[in-house]
Amino acid sequence: MFNAEKFIEESVAKIKQEVTGKALIAFSGGVDSTVCAALVDKAIGEQLVAVHVDTGFMRKNESVNVEKLMKKMNLNYRFVDASEKFYNALKGVEDPEEKRKIIGEKFIRIFEEIAEEEKIEFLVQGTIAPDWIESGDKLRDNIKSHHNVGGLPERMKLKIVEPLRDLYKDEVRKIARALKLPVSERQPFPGPGLAIRVIGEVTPERVEIVREACDIVEKEIEAAAEKGLMELPWQYFAVLLPVKTVGVHGDRRAYGYVIAIRAVQSIDAMTCAFSKIPFDVIDRISTRITNTLKDKVNRVVYDVTNKPPGTVEWE
Amino acid sequence: MVKIIVIDNGGQWTHREWRTLRDLGVDTKIIPNTVFFQEIVDENVDGLVLSGGAPRVGLTGELGNCGEYLEKAVFPVLGICAGHQYMARFFGGEVKPSETPEFGKVELKILKQDVLFEGVPEKSIVWESHNDEVTRLPSVFEILAESENCKIQAMKHRDKPFYGLQFHPEVEHTEYGEQVFRNFIKICKR
Repeated sequence: MFNAEKFIEESVAKIKQEVTGKALIAFSGGVDSTVCAALVDKAIGEQLVAVHVDTGFMRKNESVNVEKLMKKMNLNYRFVDASEKFYNALKGVEDPEEKRKIIGEKFIRIFEEIAEEEKIEFLVQGTIAPDWIESGDKLRDNIKSHHNVGGLPERMKLKIVEPLRDLYKDEVRKIARALKLPVSERQPFPGPGLAIRVIGEVTPERVEIVREACDIVEKEIEAAAEKGLMELPWQYFAVLLPVKTVGVHGDRRAYGYVIAIRAVQSIDAMTCAFSKIPFDVIDRISTRITNTLKDKVNRVVYDVTNKPPGTVEWE
Repeated sequence: MVKIIVIDNGGQWTHREWRTLRDLGVDTKIIPNTVFFQEIVDENVDGLVLSGGAPRVGLTGELGNCGEYLEKAVFPVLGICAGHQYMARFFGGEVKPSETPEFGKVELKILKQDVLFEGVPEKSIVWESHNDEVTRLPSVFEILAESENCKIQAMKHRDKPFYGLQFHPEVEHTEYGEQVFRNFIKICKR
């Protein structure tokens, strides 16, 4: 069985050997990067610079909270607001793989700039097993390019360090609990963020819609789980579809977007079953989304696909 | 400690096979399917798992050096998905694109009890992900299990400790997957 204490000990020793200069960690504030930061911090302390990039695709208030977390962990950190750069780079782009690759490359270029300024040699990433498995390699087909693996440009100056490469999320959570990190139970959130929850072209308006819808889905499901009405899913969110359908609002014709709700149960994201959410909970989510986003969204659907054949995120 | 090597045929769940074996206390590692058989023998293995993978065994029949392993192995071999299909073809069976491919949740029905299925009920939920399947059993094999849309879900060599599974025992959502691995480990210990 996986032993978190033993992993921490061995991993810190290994990082001390491997990372011989200053290192930068790509810090999203999720379980993987936070655990990684804590391990590298134990190994090299002040030599580590945590960098959080606000891509403009983060969830409601997320980047603000990530900054608080970096402070709380006493990390030597940098906060970069790059939303304009990211939106510009994705103008007119509809293909999901292209989106992921553009985002992956943007991240790296930002890290490289900071690395140059601060004379950093190593880039630490919270990559875990499903990231490289799904990104594909010589033997494996590319399912989707995770921004931190398949999204990496071919030429880059930084040396990559990935202490969690052979682990799955449930094992990373065990380490997070052992290290008493407050993020141990956070649901996974993809590096490209809300950009891959807007199907088709990404615009600030569309991201704002899906951000609000994701917030409603999260709050309603967490409240229902708190009340014991359902088990908290592995992951739960909203996806904005580039399809418009007809509705009726106060005796007037409405014509708006469709939101899909996705919630799945899993331990490692390698296989998933769609969550059997009680109808009352879905009902509340549907009403709240269509009423709050009345001018934009007039239809809500629930995704009943397992993995396989689906993946968790739609892109 | 039992040593079981996982041969990587490029599957999404190759690493999960490694993880399941490791969690069950097995000395294990992943090796690409391009290594020669001698290198595996040099590792002093007790058994081999042939992983699944993207190659369409039903169309091309290629799967690295798996043929050499099946020809020479005197220890137990468990073929999973593409590994299972390749095993069938190697021993004279036939593999073709499935009429109804299976992805995700499927009910498995055990037809013949075997050590590999000890502790697994007659009907259970398994997870699938395949475009091709074994359509004709090699004469030296027997069928152990089926599903509604795939008649050869599990097979066993009549004389050698070789097994093939179309479903994936290594993933979380296969109800008795870990039990199947426990049984395979037992087979490797003999």
